[in-house]
Amino acid sequence: MAIEKKPEDEFDTVFSQNDSLELSSHHDYVTAQTRIFKIIVIGDSNVGKTCLTYRFCGGTFLKNPEATIGVDFRERTLELDGESIKLQIWDTAGQERFRKSMVEHYYRSVHAVIFVYDVTSLSSFESIPEWIEECRRHCVGPLVPRIMVGNKCDLRDRREVPTTAAQCLADSYNFPLFETSAKEPAEKEHVDAIFLTLAYRLKSHKPLRLKQPSESNIRQLWNQREQEAATCQC
Amino acid sequence: MKRLKRKKQNAGVGVNGNGSVTREPDCGRKQKLAEIHQALISDPVDIETLRRAAASKGGLLTDELRRKVWPKLLNINVYDLPYKPGRDVREKHKDYNQVVLDVRRSMKRFPKGMPAAERAVLQEQMTDIILEVLKRTPQLHYYQGYHDVAVTLLLVVGERMALAMLDTLSNHHLRDFMDPTMDSTKHILNYLMPILEQVDEELHDFMIRAEVGTIFALSWLITWYGHVLSDFKHTMRLYDFFLASHPLMPIYLAATIVLHREKEVKKTECDMAMVHHLLSRIPQDLPYELLIGQAQDLFDQYPPSLLAKQAALQSRKSLSISTFQAFQFATLHQRPDSVLQRLTKAQGSTTSRQASQHSGLEAALPRDRGQMWGKGNRMVKMAVWGLSATLGAAVFAVAQTAMDWGPEVLLQLF
Repeated sequence: MAIEKKPEDEFDTVFSQNDSLELSSHHDYVTAQTRIFKIIVIGDSNVGKTCLTYRFCGGTFLKNPEATIGVDFRERTLELDGESIKLQIWDTAGQERFRKSMVEHYYRSVHAVIFVYDVTSLSSFESIPEWIEECRRHCVGPLVPRIMVGNKCDLRDRREVPTTAAQCLADSYNFPLFETSAKEPAEKEHVDAIFLTLAYRLKSHKPLRLKQPSESNIRQLWNQREQEAATCQC
Repeated sequence: MKRLKRKKQNAGVGVNGNGSVTREPDCGRKQKLAEIHQALISDPVDIETLRRAAASKGGLLTDELRRKVWPKLLNINVYDLPYKPGRDVREKHKDYNQVVLDVRRSMKRFPKGMPAAERAVLQEQMTDIILEVLKRTPQLHYYQGYHDVAVTLLLVVGERMALAMLDTLSNHHLRDFMDPTMDSTKHILNYLMPILEQVDEELHDFMIRAEVGTIFALSWLITWYGHVLSDFKHTMRLYDFFLASHPLMPIYLAATIVLHREKEVKKTECDMAMVHHLLSRIPQDLPYELLIGQAQDLFDQYPPSLLAKQAALQSRKSLSISTFQAFQFATLHQRPDSVLQRLTKAQGSTTSRQASQHSGLEAALPRDRGQMWGKGNRMVKMAVWGLSATLGAAVFAVAQTAMDWGPEVLLQLF
């Protein structure tokens, strides 16, 4: 990777000149019909990142999932209001050593971030602020939508993270919170709905593509985010 | 690949300066079996023949031979294995939780028909040997994927031998991956693009344009493909090859796999996600024998020293690479099993007396034993350690002569 050395500013926020250039040349231009959004899924080891993305992209629950090494890629194309939207989902390894030097390449020009924790593991929930900080360090712009997902809520009697605590944390960051289960077949639609919410958001928020967002745009976005967080039911 | 073909015709038999093995013309399976058996009973063990056999067509052929030859490739005395780790190995280890999570999720690595109870026992053993190696050498850090190496060894050679082999591999071939960070691993991955550039510039440029990076090959490298191959016989075949080769060989194989799929790659949309997606999914029907041969040819044509001249590769020192030559030297002086058994027995009676003065397992571990032949060997190894590659061989010959006179002379020499 050292060979393809890029100037620092490539790692800038979604509003940088470079980034919008990349968007138009890479995605919009090449596939004129389909808009592509890049989503990165992060969180501690064994919280179910792979199963969650597999459920959404493959439609089924992945039996005997293995540890993810480095970064895995999945995608799914959706029809939203007659428009074709492709979600490219980057599923990352949970172990700390991988995020430090390996995953950074994949934070580049992401359009959305999904933070995943395991509702049966308090420590995975407690790591969320660290992951959020990590994300910030990789220069993911403040307007890139972020959501929090508590997985494995089918394991009711092993729950360690109360919904109220999670909601509290999510509110403090103004992130929408979802609790779901990649395993539970009844939750299949819910998993889809989480990604769809994100897709709608990405599709409709044209301001995200602006080079220079105005202050009012930012405020408007934050307000919307707050509203959504408040109405999120789990 | 034209250059490769020409090279193949001239390929002779033997080990070159960098320790890679060149191939011999394919001989019958029977003859190969006989050669391997002969090499095992030679005194010292004919390690070059074993390396050649491990790399050439079919590899080590049978599980039984693997059990015998794998330890030789890593200079392990089968009569002096570490004891099974005790329960205490699990206590208070910083990586314990991560190891358990990964071992528990390693179901796919076991043969399909294996009873759950048997698998559970092996998974416990896997956890124990991983933690034991980490505990022995605190500088080693666990990485996700290390468990894929452990399970491969465990399934072939059993718990105690797997422990001994994993210990050696962790301090040599896998050493770079076990740093506190993955920076050294990234450095090793950086060898991939220069190899591609040498062979197929167009493909190389395509991949640079796509900004695909090299993470698609990360799990190939750090698990020796154990994580991505679903057929265990292919994994074993590749382990034969890698155990007999330079630590960078998995990267050369990665290059041949990418080159093998050149047409597919170039047909893909020139985009990071698309190219990553294509390359990270390894086809299960790859022509492994062909690719292994090509990887060796690439290694001979573009050795790591040549590639390292590229600016991007200069910045960092790899422990796996820098200690490899000394490691190769050390493997040259193994005694055949019949002799080892005799020596170890004789030695065992003296150490058991010493051991009774110590308590617990430590006294019985091989590194704590002062075996006569082992001691001499280690001294030569230490002496040769710091010398440059060109001087190494000459000094080694001198050191060997000195060893015949006695260790005192050797010590005076340095």
